[in-house]
Amino acid sequence: MAVTALAGDDAVRVDGCATIPELFWKRATERADKVALREKDFGIWNEYTWADYGEQARLAGLGLKALGLERGDVVSIASEVNKEWMFADLGVICIGGVTNGVYPTDAPNQVEYLIDDSATRYYFAEDEEQLDKVLEVRERTTTLEKVVIFDMEGLRDLEDDMCMSFEALLELGHEYGERHPEVWTAEIAKARPEDLMVLTYTSGTTGPPKGAMITQRNMLYMMNTLQGCYGVHESDEQLGFLPLAHVAGRMFYTFAVLESCSVVNLVEELETAVTDQQEVAPTIHFAVPRVWEKQFSTVAIKLKEATALGRLAYRLALAVGERRAACLKAGERVPVPIAAAFFFADLLVFKNIRRMLGIDDCRWLSTAAAPIAPDLIDWYWAIGKPMYEVYGQTECSGLATANLIGDFRIGSVGKAVEGAEVALSEENEILIRSPGVIAGYWNKPEKTADTIRQGWLHTGDVGRIDDDGFVYIVDRMKDIIITAGGKNITPSEIENQLKFSPYITDAVVVGDRRPFLTCLVMIDHENVTKYAQDNDVPFTNYTSLCHTQEVQDLVWGEIERVNARFARVETIKKFRLIDQLLDAEDEELTPTQKLKRKVVHEKYGDLIGGMYR
Amino acid sequence: MTAAATAPVLELRNIETYYGPVMAIRGVSLKVFDRQVVAVLGANGAGKTTVLKTICGAMDPRKGTVTLRGEDITGRDPDRVARLGIGHVPEGREVFPFLNVEENLRMGAFSRRDGGIAEDLELVYSYFPPLAERRKLEAGFLSGGQQQMLAIGRALMLRPALMLLDEPSLGLSPRLVHEIAEIVKRLNEEQGVTLLLVEQNARMALDVADYGYVMEVGRVVMEDTAERLRNATDIQEFYLGMKDEGVRGRRRWKVRKTWR
Repeated sequence: MAVTALAGDDAVRVDGCATIPELFWKRATERADKVALREKDFGIWNEYTWADYGEQARLAGLGLKALGLERGDVVSIASEVNKEWMFADLGVICIGGVTNGVYPTDAPNQVEYLIDDSATRYYFAEDEEQLDKVLEVRERTTTLEKVVIFDMEGLRDLEDDMCMSFEALLELGHEYGERHPEVWTAEIAKARPEDLMVLTYTSGTTGPPKGAMITQRNMLYMMNTLQGCYGVHESDEQLGFLPLAHVAGRMFYTFAVLESCSVVNLVEELETAVTDQQEVAPTIHFAVPRVWEKQFSTVAIKLKEATALGRLAYRLALAVGERRAACLKAGERVPVPIAAAFFFADLLVFKNIRRMLGIDDCRWLSTAAAPIAPDLIDWYWAIGKPMYEVYGQTECSGLATANLIGDFRIGSVGKAVEGAEVALSEENEILIRSPGVIAGYWNKPEKTADTIRQGWLHTGDVGRIDDDGFVYIVDRMKDIIITAGGKNITPSEIENQLKFSPYITDAVVVGDRRPFLTCLVMIDHENVTKYAQDNDVPFTNYTSLCHTQEVQDLVWGEIERVNARFARVETIKKFRLIDQLLDAEDEELTPTQKLKRKVVHEKYGDLIGGMYR
Repeated sequence: MTAAATAPVLELRNIETYYGPVMAIRGVSLKVFDRQVVAVLGANGAGKTTVLKTICGAMDPRKGTVTLRGEDITGRDPDRVARLGIGHVPEGREVFPFLNVEENLRMGAFSRRDGGIAEDLELVYSYFPPLAERRKLEAGFLSGGQQQMLAIGRALMLRPALMLLDEPSLGLSPRLVHEIAEIVKRLNEEQGVTLLLVEQNARMALDVADYGYVMEVGRVVMEDTAERLRNATDIQEFYLGMKDEGVRGRRRWKVRKTWR
């Protein structure tokens, strides 16, 4: 339904609007009584219309204006994904501010850095826990003026001049709006396509995080691109569970929705995402590889508990599914016998699996943000759902390349999206030029000049491009391992195969300037616990579980299986388990629960050293 | 404890116990060595009592084994387990209210055929003077603390190889809790009684024990020496009620447990 036009004046427009505030207010007024969001609260899905969305954003925006927000001021939001996040976000953007998402798992010192570096004046904190982090560091920050709290539970007695509740902010906005009825629309009209709209901090490989500056135009281009790639319909339903501080979550749940008018269903808690997904049955689903791996291992484990007949049915069905998928992937017609066999396989096996995972209604699945094993994508195709891998970075506001429906290659990240160009440097680094490439890093001109040279974004990823324009990502440039023998090895390829095992959550392959390859493995707690119990392996806690001989053998077996697929120099000779149960608050993990290579190398230096002694 | 080198008195391997369809214990393994006091901590419903019931034979595990001095006693009837030398002090005392103190104690020695019963009676009385003063009083008339002493004394009468103590601090005043804890400690030190102690009162349990396990929803989440458990941040926050003072003074939200 959206009209896409690249006008002669270089403006990127969505539905005739050249700025996000203009588009948002158009939606809020024209679609007033239609559902925009749902959020689950105590098990009930509450609906919020576009009018609600618009009104809450307006009051939040005016409230900040009443507090003294000037155009271009930075407002930070530290919260799990929820409706207040989205209300506050659009309120800030419409009133001329810049929003910066903070991960709720960030530690106080990181919060302090983000506030200082971005010169945040107003800070939204989800709850007591997030509030305490700000209060701990506020003495040391110079710019912070006000903290607004979404959830006041446990804070009734809070008396602090710097803090106020979200409700009080809306009330303030209401009063301000009564006195100045023209301000809201006037501020919306002041927005310009080149205005900075969103700051997204990316963890640098060297030095502290850098704030990528995304403009109105960057994001409008991205919305058009996503629409052009897959088409998001008004009737589509999404599950909102990825962090909004990440560019992908923001694009899919906040901005793409402004274009397509589809509905976002926000999960109650991250812990309830699995059941929430079954209930929502989204029609389009974007997730990170960790989520897809987890879904697959759920099925793999369930299967181990199934009857022999059930397992046989699954094996037969999968064989049929794979043959059908092979035809689809080659762009051929599926022969009638296979189509007929698939009909039964689907009816008896796959449909149940897809329902259990909550992906049965999906038109397409999409993955990005980290490397994924091609075998895993194949599996989703085999069970009857097309999955497309895309590629991009915060620094290009999201997408740069995409596999398209009917034009894709598994293992590649697809071709450059419309309006974007992809090239290789002499060192085979992937370079991107597109209207999505950011204006630069906030207050870091030298970093900007380093990363964006003559309009080309230097991604730091090594890859290749085939004759048809499909792009293949090899690895992060800095992660390539050169063994003592001089052999170049791409660890992510091996790691992806390891993660494919239901018993391995994550792995880090080590071997740079070493005589052979080794790896550190993080086991899948749930599945390995189950394995231990089924096999009568005594253990008490996570650490003792990791130290049992049986678990060591189990993991070694999985490694050997992967080793068989690689050349001799690329095989892993030794491994160690990370015997501490890590969670998102530990510095070893990213907010998406992936091991950070650099931190792992530092923290587990002794463990790694031990393997080479 | 230097007992670590020898074989454990009691060993549980991967016990899984159900109440009907409900899995109460999800694979618990633990060891108790000779002359050791081992504490099992955990909140309500963590499965602590079920562990003891599984050891003493009142419940049968669906999976896993219980071994006493190397002998597999999984699924044996409770009376046979008691004869093998496991004395159970159940939760809530469970003394025989219409029998007097001495009769209650003699019930503890019911299965014994040796001649040392009279001596042991005196031994129990020496440890629990309030009982000595009330030998002929019906147990139902005793106070909670005295009943707890009686229940422990009754288990001692078995001359147990291992004593299971289920929530001895339940419903007792802090002073009595302290008194019972002191007696438990003395029994261990002077009489060499091996003890497996289940407690919600972590302060008392860690005070008495050499080694501890922490259970949560049917699983062991942590194990270590009592010394180190006392200093673990999670234990301090969740069981000992110690908290870092937050920036606003009192912090209500809970940090995520990490169990390390």
